[in-house]
Amino acid sequence: MNTKELAKRIDEKNTMVSGHRTCAGCPIAIICRTVTSASDIPVVCSSATSCAEVTTTIYPQTSWNIPWIHSVFANSAATISGIETAYKAQKKKGKIKKDINFLVIAGDGGSFDIGLQALSGALERGHDFVFLCYDNEGYMNCLSKDSLIYTKEGLKKITEIKVGEMVYAFDQKTQKLVLKKCSGVFNNGIKKVYEIETLHHNIKATGNHPFLVVKKNGRGKENELVWKTIEELKKGEQIITLKRLKGEKPFTFEKIKLSKKGDYKVNCINEIKLPKESTTELMLLLGLYVGDGWIREKGEIGFALPEGTVGRDKCISAFKNIFGVKKITTDKYYVSLNSINIVKFIESLGFNKGAKNKIIPSWIYTLPDIQKEAFIEGLLLSDGYIYKKKKDSCRFVSASKELVQRLRLLLQTLNYRVGKITVQKKEKGTMVVYRPLLKDAEYYSICFSKKDDWNIDKYPFQYKYQNFLIGNQNFDTEIIKSITEVGKEQTFDLRVEGEHNFIADGFVVHNTGNQRSSATPKGASTTTTPSGSSSFGKMEFSKDLAKIAMAHNVPYVAQANTHNLIDLYNKAQKAFAKKGPAVIVVFAACPTNMKAPSEQTIAISKLATESNFWPLYEYEDGKLTINYKPEKRIAIEEFLKTQTKFKEVLKPKNKEILKSIQEEIDKRFNDLLKLEKL
Amino acid sequence: MTRLGLTGGEAIAYAFKQIGVDVFSMYPITPQTPIIESFSRFVANGEVDTEVIRTESEHSALSATIGACASGARSVTATSSQGLLYMFEMLSVASGLRLPIVMPVANRAISAPINIHCDHSDSMSALDQGWMQVYCETAQEAYEMTIFSQKLSEKCYLPIMVCIDGFFTSHNLIPVNVFEDKKVKDFVGEFKPAYNLLDTDKPITVGALALPDTYFEIRKEMFDAFLEVKSNYLSVAKDFKKSFGKEINFYEDYFSSNSETVLIVLSSTAQNAKNVVDKLRSQKKDVGLLRPILYRPFLYEEYIKPLSKAKNIIVLERSEGPGSFSPIYKDIVLTIFNHGNAKEKPNIYNHVFGLGGREISEKEIEEILISVLNKKPIKKRYIGIKE
Repeated sequence: MNTKELAKRIDEKNTMVSGHRTCAGCPIAIICRTVTSASDIPVVCSSATSCAEVTTTIYPQTSWNIPWIHSVFANSAATISGIETAYKAQKKKGKIKKDINFLVIAGDGGSFDIGLQALSGALERGHDFVFLCYDNEGYMNCLSKDSLIYTKEGLKKITEIKVGEMVYAFDQKTQKLVLKKCSGVFNNGIKKVYEIETLHHNIKATGNHPFLVVKKNGRGKENELVWKTIEELKKGEQIITLKRLKGEKPFTFEKIKLSKKGDYKVNCINEIKLPKESTTELMLLLGLYVGDGWIREKGEIGFALPEGTVGRDKCISAFKNIFGVKKITTDKYYVSLNSINIVKFIESLGFNKGAKNKIIPSWIYTLPDIQKEAFIEGLLLSDGYIYKKKKDSCRFVSASKELVQRLRLLLQTLNYRVGKITVQKKEKGTMVVYRPLLKDAEYYSICFSKKDDWNIDKYPFQYKYQNFLIGNQNFDTEIIKSITEVGKEQTFDLRVEGEHNFIADGFVVHNTGNQRSSATPKGASTTTTPSGSSSFGKMEFSKDLAKIAMAHNVPYVAQANTHNLIDLYNKAQKAFAKKGPAVIVVFAACPTNMKAPSEQTIAISKLATESNFWPLYEYEDGKLTINYKPEKRIAIEEFLKTQTKFKEVLKPKNKEILKSIQEEIDKRFNDLLKLEKL
Repeated sequence: MTRLGLTGGEAIAYAFKQIGVDVFSMYPITPQTPIIESFSRFVANGEVDTEVIRTESEHSALSATIGACASGARSVTATSSQGLLYMFEMLSVASGLRLPIVMPVANRAISAPINIHCDHSDSMSALDQGWMQVYCETAQEAYEMTIFSQKLSEKCYLPIMVCIDGFFTSHNLIPVNVFEDKKVKDFVGEFKPAYNLLDTDKPITVGALALPDTYFEIRKEMFDAFLEVKSNYLSVAKDFKKSFGKEINFYEDYFSSNSETVLIVLSSTAQNAKNVVDKLRSQKKDVGLLRPILYRPFLYEEYIKPLSKAKNIIVLERSEGPGSFSPIYKDIVLTIFNHGNAKEKPNIYNHVFGLGGREISEKEIEEILISVLNKKPIKKRYIGIKE
């Protein structure tokens, strides 16, 4: 039989139909359809609580075109024992005449862990059934990698968050801003993302990611806050966003090692003093720096601030007052000075270098309002301008998209009214900062203005109806303007203790659910065995279910994989034909658990077999046969690196662990070879 | 009618043999063992054609019974104490899936500490799992109630626990009048399942995932079935009378309707209590005994009549509700509060006795009744406890 014929047969049998809710790239449907089609006579199926069960039988719909029962997690094998016995009893009494095959479908938890006892009992009693375990190695909602998260140390990219960090969250009981510990960071692979846009905020996330929204319960009834996924949200709904994040105190700078005269290549040095903590004057200077300044390693510091501008005066006086600089050079367009130590200091602040790369570092988000505003003033004096006629509305332009994004979020922590980020293309040759552009460039800009707080004393109830969070210090509601699909992106998620939510790109978002099972291979990172600086992940080697089944001396045990469906089909046929218990364990590459792109399922499955991680073999009436021996088995890293959940174990410092994993895999394959010879 | 010397356990096994159950899943636990051992002997001797599954645990035993019952087979299992607690998660699956499973429970104390003797704490912990419960006084009643329950359970499509006192009833041999094989088979009839997994021409999905938008209504259907039990019970009792000439009631009313002082107690202890009632009544004292038989559902309105004259009600129970009260006491209070008509509500006392199999003497029961009659009711809650 070839794959075309197999596909035709599966379609004809039609034992499990479409409309189920498995994830994109999930191999469960393929495995179940292939195995159930391998029986010529009717099949009755018992399923453990599992992905296969939950995704296929959401009442009142079902994907199963065969009799199917789900009882509980642990007892799928005990249930089939009862069904098979009931069949035997009624056949004996002549009440049933037809032949029926019995099948159990369970995930690795329902087989290896909680289900092991019932499976062992059923195998020992010798019931006539097939036990199919699809092993997705672990029990199984994300944000784009560009998401910016509000943490105690300021605004950070989701990829920069570490386990144990304190992040801001929304206390659902008091509706206040609170700090909670981040207990996990997950790279969830490439997924389809949507973008939610409100008047002042936008964020990219997967369709199943929950956001906090207002549920209106009608006239006279109280509204409430509920979690809804992007798929459930509609344009016009009110979503909860962060509007203010008050900084406590000025930021204390880290001490840096100063260069002194006599150091390598340092012949003379300008004596200066470095500030210990941030001040309004310093923040204004740094704002000017971000907009119009640059630093060079040799110690050159420059600002493009022409004669007569307010910025130039402020810049010069700031350098004199704060740093004690004595010599400052000026000409028509520029201000410059020389100091290696000031360069080092500015570098340590995290602004990055280069016009397109400048960002607002995280600590700026922790400053008191007055210092934040001084920083923004500095930015405006350099790259922005104020529309006097439109109620003090300001506009800021920059070549760095990220700078504009972060400025937008910074303004939002001050409860400013901020518009969308608009893009402007400037052609090669246009004069920018007194020099012509060398090539076409894109410039990003935002408009913003100060917002007045609502006068809640005047019409308290009316305002509360319109805006659910009126009077709330830190949170506001905004109307969703649009939700659009924007393509595939690398996605991440956090796990936050307590409230289970955090603030990303200004939205209150829910965190994720991914736990360890005994089938999770050594070295894997899951939520209950997360990888971190002191642990690379799951410490124990996984249970070998096929060997456990063989130890029960059952007539047939097989190990199969999703990339070779003909092999799986043949094994299922043999299993059904055998009298007594038969066990088939199939490798199921779950994209969610493996944190791999969903279209890689079959490719990763193949690597599992080619690396001997998952050998294909059969144990029939006491004799073991390995069905496929790779000519040259590939190194285990090739398989592990396809999934980011093994990231930690692949690091150089965990070399020994990786070696032990390779050794174990080779040992187990050698054991199989020895068994084959017996 | 034949008269056999049977223990409570053997009597139940005999009843199952006569019914001719299709599948019996068993896992042993004292004091239920006489049930499964007797039945295994019947199978070994070819006296009954039942498929027996010797599972590796009680959880698997009830799981297999559920699987078998969902596949058109009349299926039963039996347990006690920790076994019942081990299969606890399966109890609501059986009732949720509306499977008519008959499960004898030989009441035994629950751990910790471990104790194998008579105590009602095991079945009382499962009152809200959707199972009907009946309590039997003797091996005779256990035999009759097993046959009765098979038909009742299949009529209501609800599972049922047939409870007997561990050791006191399960292991005590008494003469039992058993009915004719054919009459029992005719009485229970053919099992008519509501659905059958083995009907492969009409495949069904059993045990689906019901999200918040569908779960509530499905569960309510099971709750509503409990409201039908009363009429089904009366109907099956009528058939039982016709087939065997015996009456099956909701409770045993031993001079309770006429008395101002009523003692309420379950199962075998009632035998001793009835002796005390006889003694006191011969002394012209106005006492009576009420022994509930059907405990779940509890038919509140039915308890008005036997308690109509009561001024003092003493509820004596072999189980406790830590931090609360014993279960029957609570149901009696509800009865009097919601349904009683008397202008003056009676005094209702609750005592706990016999946990872990400790015996209660007729003298102690008499003391309780005398103290109430003398208007100086015993204050201590736990009867027979060492001070």
